Amino acid sequence: MKGYRNYFLNKLLWFLVTLVAAFILNFILPRLMPGDPVAAIVSRLAQGMSNTSGVQAIYEQYAEQFGTNKPMLEQFVLYMRNVFQGDFGFSFSQYPRTVADVISSSIWWTVGLQFPAIIIGWLIGNTLGALAAYRRGTFDKVLMPISIFVSNLPAFGMAVIMLVIFAVTLRWFPTSGGYGFDLIPNFSWKFIWSVFIHYQLPFWSIVLITIGGQAIGMRSMSIYELNADYVKYSRLLGIKDRKIVGYVFRNAMLPQITGLALSIGTMVGGALVAEIIFSYPGLGSTILTAVLGQDYPLISATTLIITLMVLLANFLLEIAYGFLDPRIKAAQAD
Amino acid sequence: MLEVRELTTKYITRFKEDIYAVDHVSLKIEEGRSLGIAGESGCGKSTLALSLMGYYFPPLHYTSGDIIIDGTNISGMKADDVRKSILGREIAYIPQAALNALNPTQKIIRFIEDVVKAHDPTVTKDEIYEMARGLFESLGLPAEVLQKYPVELSGGMKQRTVIAISVILRPQVLIADEPSSALDVTSQKMVIKMLRNLMDNGYVKAMIFITHELPLLYNVTDDIMVMYAGQIVEKAPAHEAVFDPLHPYSKGLMGSIIVPEEGLRDVKLAAIPGTPPNLKNPPKGCRFAARCKYVRPECRVQSIQLRELENGRSYRCVIGEDELRELYAREAE
Amino acid sequence: MKYTIQQIFQSGKFITGFSIFMTILLIVIIYPLVIPDPPLKIIAQGTFFEPGIYVNVYDSINTPFYTLNLDEAADRRIANRLGDEDRQAIKEWLVGNGMPEAEIDPANTEQLLDQWFNNFDPTVRLPGMTNADRNYYIRLNNNIQGLLNTSGAVIAELDEETAVLTEKATVPQSAYVNVNDVPNVRVLPLGTDNFGRDVLTELVRATGVSLQIGLVAGSIATLIGLVLGLVSGYIGGFVDDTIMFVTNLFTVIPSFVLLILISFSISQEQRGATTIAVVIGFTSWVWTARAVRSQVISLRNRDHVNLSKLSGHSITHIIVRDILPYIASYVVMALILQISSGILAEAGLSILGLGPKTTDVPTLGLMMNWAMIYQAHILGKWWAYFPIIITIALIAFSMNLMNTGLDQVFNPALRD
Repeated sequence: MKGYRNYFLNKLLWFLVTLVAAFILNFILPRLMPGDPVAAIVSRLAQGMSNTSGVQAIYEQYAEQFGTNKPMLEQFVLYMRNVFQGDFGFSFSQYPRTVADVISSSIWWTVGLQFPAIIIGWLIGNTLGALAAYRRGTFDKVLMPISIFVSNLPAFGMAVIMLVIFAVTLRWFPTSGGYGFDLIPNFSWKFIWSVFIHYQLPFWSIVLITIGGQAIGMRSMSIYELNADYVKYSRLLGIKDRKIVGYVFRNAMLPQITGLALSIGTMVGGALVAEIIFSYPGLGSTILTAVLGQDYPLISATTLIITLMVLLANFLLEIAYGFLDPRIKAAQAD
Repeated sequence: MLEVRELTTKYITRFKEDIYAVDHVSLKIEEGRSLGIAGESGCGKSTLALSLMGYYFPPLHYTSGDIIIDGTNISGMKADDVRKSILGREIAYIPQAALNALNPTQKIIRFIEDVVKAHDPTVTKDEIYEMARGLFESLGLPAEVLQKYPVELSGGMKQRTVIAISVILRPQVLIADEPSSALDVTSQKMVIKMLRNLMDNGYVKAMIFITHELPLLYNVTDDIMVMYAGQIVEKAPAHEAVFDPLHPYSKGLMGSIIVPEEGLRDVKLAAIPGTPPNLKNPPKGCRFAARCKYVRPECRVQSIQLRELENGRSYRCVIGEDELRELYAREAE
Repeated sequence: MKYTIQQIFQSGKFITGFSIFMTILLIVIIYPLVIPDPPLKIIAQGTFFEPGIYVNVYDSINTPFYTLNLDEAADRRIANRLGDEDRQAIKEWLVGNGMPEAEIDPANTEQLLDQWFNNFDPTVRLPGMTNADRNYYIRLNNNIQGLLNTSGAVIAELDEETAVLTEKATVPQSAYVNVNDVPNVRVLPLGTDNFGRDVLTELVRATGVSLQIGLVAGSIATLIGLVLGLVSGYIGGFVDDTIMFVTNLFTVIPSFVLLILISFSISQEQRGATTIAVVIGFTSWVWTARAVRSQVISLRNRDHVNLSKLSGHSITHIIVRDILPYIASYVVMALILQISSGILAEAGLSILGLGPKTTDVPTLGLMMNWAMIYQAHILGKWWAYFPIIITIALIAFSMNLMNTGLDQVFNPALRD
């Protein structure tokens, strides 16, 4: 258990380091860009809003909050304090809502959509990939080209195709939104059913995209493992093939977990764009509104939240990997 | 003990071509004896090792011939019966790349449990543990190894663990395929010592040792067999194979060895110019003809049979025993 | 080298990918030579014209007529002009008038019209029918009567002063023009987009720009990755630790988020295609750096490298002569993947509204963005979005195939 504790502490430390780096990047990148951010924002405000008292309020609040006249370090301390208080200021584009309010109403849609979809897609993809490697033959020959093509479709492309087929043409599912536009969120069956129906297309388009890439990865991992020396040796000691296949798939699965941890950021990025296609009320649409409304505080906070989500998912996967791969305990114990 | 008659096996490539990597090989090994098989890489010696087990999986396929162990012909048996009653019990195998021969995510003892239970599901885990501990201790391996993962073992320790696992079911015959080639000199010595130990203490009754490192064979085995392009080209007691080789290929392999023992250590199979024939389309005549210094016109026409000599030696060449010795003697001057 | 190239071109996957990619590239190069129109020129007044051949009506009238007596012409004309809604309305009226629903087939024009003429009576007022409905049916009846009219269309000229129409010519129903005689015919194989631009011309140009973005982004990413990987892997120690720390950091922090943040901070006017490409390149080098580093580490202690070190060659010499040639294949594969992911990154950014500025050139992402904003997918205007998705997918697919083909040549373990 000592080995695992070391591993866990190591990963925790790394998680904290990446967290700090994420804050710094989120703080510094917009400030490094050419041009005076204050002037840019003020000019955007002037264009964007007709409500003069709103403009004034935001401007004062902005100057106060970002402390743009103070030295960088002081600004950063201010920024961190605001972040930890969950205070991201007002949203430019959705004034008088606060950024925290906008994000808290969209984040759970994204979390509830993307993480189950990525996990389900990962599971299905790995199963298919393992089967393709073990069975070969027709199954492999049919599945692989499809997987390769599907995995090369951008996530938004898959989303558009699903939408056109199942929502526009067949009319089985609604085209957009997270629930019926005529409903107010509550715990009635009608609302839950509406959410469920709206969930299907975005969910399955992310699942399908994930399946393609994972199946290909798992197939080649499995083929690699099937050719490993221990497979031959186990066979020649009389161990049944079924048992050996068990070894192989467990061993091929482990790098797939690490792979998922490393690529989850990219997957989330693609899925956010897919959300936009379905006008799903998650963070993807929030980014789009923020971009269209030149809403700096909202963009900054949304990207930060997404980064934190990805880092957390990554950390959790690493922790899970530590439990699943016995070598971790062994290697760290020395 | 183990007798193989005219065994032929082939690989089927993904282009559906047949490659006969073991071509009508016969051999016999008595209780208490050990046999070395030598040859360049790709000569079919490792395939022969696999083929002798009587258990074939793609791309290797059985074609013809008999494998007889203790009077039982296993070449006609069902694959699952071979798996259950022959593999590991009658014939055991030590793989070429023993460093990766163990499943990396399994403790040694778990693997041993799988091996034992594959042949007898009724044995309990405690019994298996006692059995494994007893074996490991008697072979000079610490019992703690059982509770470790392969990554936690050093190269030499891993190799010795693999050897111990191979004999856990007390097989009659042990086939070791280059068990020491990837190790440093000290570990090599320990492995050889351990293999001899297995024979001396009756853990196994006979051994087949495959290598391309000649000094090892000379020190370890009683007889030596030389393979070339899927066929046996010479069979002789170890001393004669090294100091009085008959087949030109054997001669080429052993050619530079003159001083016994001391000098032998550093001599490996000397390179012979040219490359072995492509086994997809083996030449009609002698397979060594293209590289042979003493080639004659008839060598390229007819296939050459193995000549049995009176003293139990045999070799595959058209030229007579004495004439060959004369040729070699002239060459040496 | 020659042998390697030969081997590469024996890989079926590589050849397939290479052919697809080359076809796309050739189209991008040759198309503008044939049709030199500016890709962003607005030609259509209105949105989303369907794909087809557009024949100038004015010119057609002034083109010699030929008479062709074709049997199906009249039926086809009526069938075409009688829309689905009208057919449905006829059916409703007939059913309301007491005809069994099973007897009516709205798709069968001849039978439907027969039933209509035999039964329709403008004075009948069906239950539940409003006045407006009744007027609609009377108008519909007049239209249908007009359809059956066999006289030609009259071309008249308006006298500016007297406002009198003078008949100039009559176009009989059996008149045809030869399209070759008409001077103005425009083929729009993929119709027009929401702004009224020719989608195909735009798409070809966008593909070219996107490929350039991919190439620039991919080259930058590969170059940064290669240099960092080489330095990190070969020098090792503190340098390696530092570079790996940064690399690991950027592996877990999603590059997509960095892209959004940076692109947003650059004002729209400054965001050209090149800028976007550079930004993408600077945020996507991590994978190449990791791959190159691990390759270099495995090469670092090979005999030939050690020999070179003992011979006193400089680090530059060793890296260029003894290490680069061995990792060249990996670098090429990494570049191919980077190009393809650069194109995807641009598309994603553009859909978020953070793509290059929209006034210069189209990109695949921008076209997708426009199609989505104008809801082409919901309106069923497939030509405005589907060809874009297919193009992106084909580019990515072909690059992936080439990559897999190369991988199989260079890593024999994966073969079969």
